[in-house]
Amino acid sequence: MLIPRRVKHRKQHHPGRSGAAKGGTRVTFGEFGIQALEPAYVTNRQIESARIAITRHIRRGGKVWINIFPDRPLTKKPAETRMGSGKGSPEWWVANIKPGRVLFEMSFPNETVAREALRRAIHKLPMKCRIVTREGGEF
Amino acid sequence: MSEVRLAAEQRTEFGKGAARRTRRAGKIPAVLYGHGSDPKHLALPALEFARVVREHGQNAVLTLDIDSATELALTKTVTTHPIKNYIEHVDLLLVKRGEKVVVDLPVVLTGDTAPGTLVAQDATSVQIEADALNIPEQVEVSLAGVQAGLQVHASDLSLPEGVTLVTDPDTLIVAVNAAPTAAEMDSEAAEDSDDAGTTEES
Repeated sequence: MLIPRRVKHRKQHHPGRSGAAKGGTRVTFGEFGIQALEPAYVTNRQIESARIAITRHIRRGGKVWINIFPDRPLTKKPAETRMGSGKGSPEWWVANIKPGRVLFEMSFPNETVAREALRRAIHKLPMKCRIVTREGGEF
Repeated sequence: MSEVRLAAEQRTEFGKGAARRTRRAGKIPAVLYGHGSDPKHLALPALEFARVVREHGQNAVLTLDIDSATELALTKTVTTHPIKNYIEHVDLLLVKRGEKVVVDLPVVLTGDTAPGTLVAQDATSVQIEADALNIPEQVEVSLAGVQAGLQVHASDLSLPEGVTLVTDPDTLIVAVNAAPTAAEMDSEAAEDSDDAGTTEES
């Protein structure tokens, strides 16, 4: 699973969730991609699960790019704990995703298989997404 | 590339409120600059400009009718909305007839490679210098029946006469590799991940 090797601070504030993606909104490496349509925190487990869904479906003959990295820690207090006594312990690593961001990209010769692989990956993600192509959907 | 004539209006009010009013009126806020002249703020008809970009590519040369004057302009940057894909703003560059301009030319791959290969396109465009009125729409690379191991560099592209390459000739455009196996794909992902844990900088 993706996880940062070293961080400056172990506990951070929650990342802001407003606005749209400023960059990384087009498919640049592969031919097809998954684009987020809603803001969300995507955990490293969800990223790994989506990646496995893609690679297990295409089996061989393709390439997958993961464009996001879970670099923000989220903390959680233990259950049945009284409020106070400091911030909880880091529980998840998440990527802060804004609408428009391309999360995964892939190259595969057969478009039908590629779309099905991406559709399966979308089911592992916590927000609405759509499949985009490198040159499609322009204006 | 053929010239396209568009009627443009000068904008008198600026800022995001005015820009949104312009878009609601079916127009695109644009700016025209170049040759040391003062920038002109324009509004272009949205549907017609979108059609021009669709049919003539992003390097379309426009003849703009601005308040009884005509200007020749090259589309420099088209800003689109990240989700809805409509054009939000356009940068236009003033050009003169016979002037040479440097533009990004899209590289389009055609044909299907041999089975068991995977095409990796490293560069989707190359920079070229061409006459402002004779910019090609795209450069095509045919990959029909190509076996694994082929590499196409910028110097291998066949450009039309009068067009010179600005990009480094050694730039890799496309590589045709053997398709990775399932084991290779899994090992690649394992290299990326590191479960050793996170440490805090002291």
